[in-house]
Amino acid sequence: MSTKHSRNAEKFLKDKEQVRWHDQTLWMVRAKRDNMSRQLPEWERLRDMACAIKMYSNSHLDLLLQEFEKNAQANGAHVYWAKDADEYCSIVYNILRAHSVKHFIKSKSMLAEECGLNEFLEEKGVEVVESDLGERILQLMHKKPSHIVMPAIHIKKEEIGELFVKEMGTEPGNNDQTYLTHAARKNLRRKFIEAEAAMTGANFAVASTGECVVCTNEGNADMGTSQPKIQITAFGMEKIVPDRESLGVFTRLLARSGTGQPITTYTSHYRKPRTGGELHIIIVDNGRSRILADKEHVKTLNCLRCGACMNTCPVYRRSGGYSYTYFIPGPIGINLGMLKAPLHYFDNVSACSLCYSCQNVCPAKVDLADQIYRWRQKLDGLSVASSSKKVMSGGMKALMEHPHLFNLALRNASVVNGLPQWMVYNGLNDWGKEHDMPQFAKESFNEMWKKNKIK
Amino acid sequence: MSSREDILQSIRRNTQVRYEKPDLSELEKEAVVYPDKVKQFCDIMKLTGGRAVVVESGDDVNEIIRRQYPEARRIASNLMSIVCLGKEQKLACAAFHPDDVANPGDLDGTDLAIVAGRVGVCENGAVWVQQDVEQRAVYFISEALVLVLDRRNLVNNMHEAYKRIDTGEYGYGVFISGPSKTADIEQALVMGAHGARDVTVLLV
Repeated sequence: MSTKHSRNAEKFLKDKEQVRWHDQTLWMVRAKRDNMSRQLPEWERLRDMACAIKMYSNSHLDLLLQEFEKNAQANGAHVYWAKDADEYCSIVYNILRAHSVKHFIKSKSMLAEECGLNEFLEEKGVEVVESDLGERILQLMHKKPSHIVMPAIHIKKEEIGELFVKEMGTEPGNNDQTYLTHAARKNLRRKFIEAEAAMTGANFAVASTGECVVCTNEGNADMGTSQPKIQITAFGMEKIVPDRESLGVFTRLLARSGTGQPITTYTSHYRKPRTGGELHIIIVDNGRSRILADKEHVKTLNCLRCGACMNTCPVYRRSGGYSYTYFIPGPIGINLGMLKAPLHYFDNVSACSLCYSCQNVCPAKVDLADQIYRWRQKLDGLSVASSSKKVMSGGMKALMEHPHLFNLALRNASVVNGLPQWMVYNGLNDWGKEHDMPQFAKESFNEMWKKNKIK
Repeated sequence: MSSREDILQSIRRNTQVRYEKPDLSELEKEAVVYPDKVKQFCDIMKLTGGRAVVVESGDDVNEIIRRQYPEARRIASNLMSIVCLGKEQKLACAAFHPDDVANPGDLDGTDLAIVAGRVGVCENGAVWVQQDVEQRAVYFISEALVLVLDRRNLVNNMHEAYKRIDTGEYGYGVFISGPSKTADIEQALVMGAHGARDVTVLLV
């Protein structure tokens, strides 16, 4: 029954103190999100409208993307279309090469992670500097994000302190968060000023104006794009929204849902290139248009990448981002991984208790848990259903269909209570792993009912 | 065939039901409003880690700024004067115009920037800054930021704000809600990640 997820989770669970901290910290973010949502009586209508706008925009992508392109070009931007990860990486590289860019500063982009941009560019000799603090820490550690909004949530300050001694010349043993953050501020300032080109993703691309909107708390997207003259902005095509009125809905939901703030510190609107500069915009498909045909999973395209579904997920909180085999963890990652390559990422489908919390907090109403449930029904068809689970379900089916057998099993279940430890807790009994077995009652409800013990 | 055509064809081929564009008017009507916008804005600014200062008649804006930032020496501003409650006051504390520098990187080391905000949003403390200088770096690179905002330009929520904003001639604008911040190291909130460490909104 063990999957790659459960085996990876086992490693994460070894450090009990770290697990407790991870679980409680993310739950605190979830509580902040609840607090924010309760301050707005119109909260549920906001979610409904966000969902409805996304259903509209994702079913009119052909029209909205062309409208965006026309307006962006009128604003003086260059617009490119990339079918897949390779084309996206090549477009970025060609822009950088044409301007002999050696220093390249980036703000956090899940699309760049998805497409392996940094690896691609570094192989070609371009120095890429991540400017989001969490991303920079991970880049220097040669690690990957474990959360889409709080990428370094799994790293302890002691590790960061040690890293900064080496990379930024901080005092050994000083692991104070403020001290370390300001050391990075100073260090990255130079990188911003030296860079010959800057890149951002986009949270929203507005069809009616041709502008891209980026939300950050640190101000790194703006520090980057206000220094060098070359700006590159790339987004997955589902980031398109029809107009600024729609931004009114999404900017109210995004940070409240993701981090429990009323809005991010910076919500930047990039419409034209800077004077004497260039603005390059890349629209990326990379499998998204294919998802449009899949009625059962098309709503994944509603996702705003706020991270609320991870913060609330009891499995994510207690297993960490690295347990999942897809680069995006948590409920949305389970679904996006299955859409990308089911035979590759099916291990994550079991990392869900179907508690539906994710679905209830999602600001754009992605039916996350329903989709996971649907994927589970398909596992057998993909020939990747767990064989031990199949044997058990077969057994349960036989038991449920034969009341005599069922009652007999129930009457004798309490025998297990008295069995020696080694017979109950062993490799054959998956229910006995990581938790204690329940005590079986001496008498079943059925029997108690018949003896009139239940009033 | 170009990738553009390929992608558009793939979208057309795969699009199933076309959904209607929703009508947002009900939401906009029931969206949160505040009986005392100035008070709400001052309260929410504290939550963002910044502050709002209401300028009363008779107050000298230069003095208010000096009192708030006594250490600031390199002060940048493109504002010559500030109109407070109908009375124009000369802005005397600024040392230079942000466009006086040759490169945006030269603005590094600016202690304070004083710039105009156009719209303030009461639900979240966001102030709309429409680019009005060549070097927009000044909004981010300065150690501290003063946003001058006419209190009559406070709106309740983002729906109202988006009806009022523009990106202007430079084609750039930003909502700024308090100081730059991060919690990337063990979720401890630290002000001053990359942008201004301290933000004051002067409500004139």
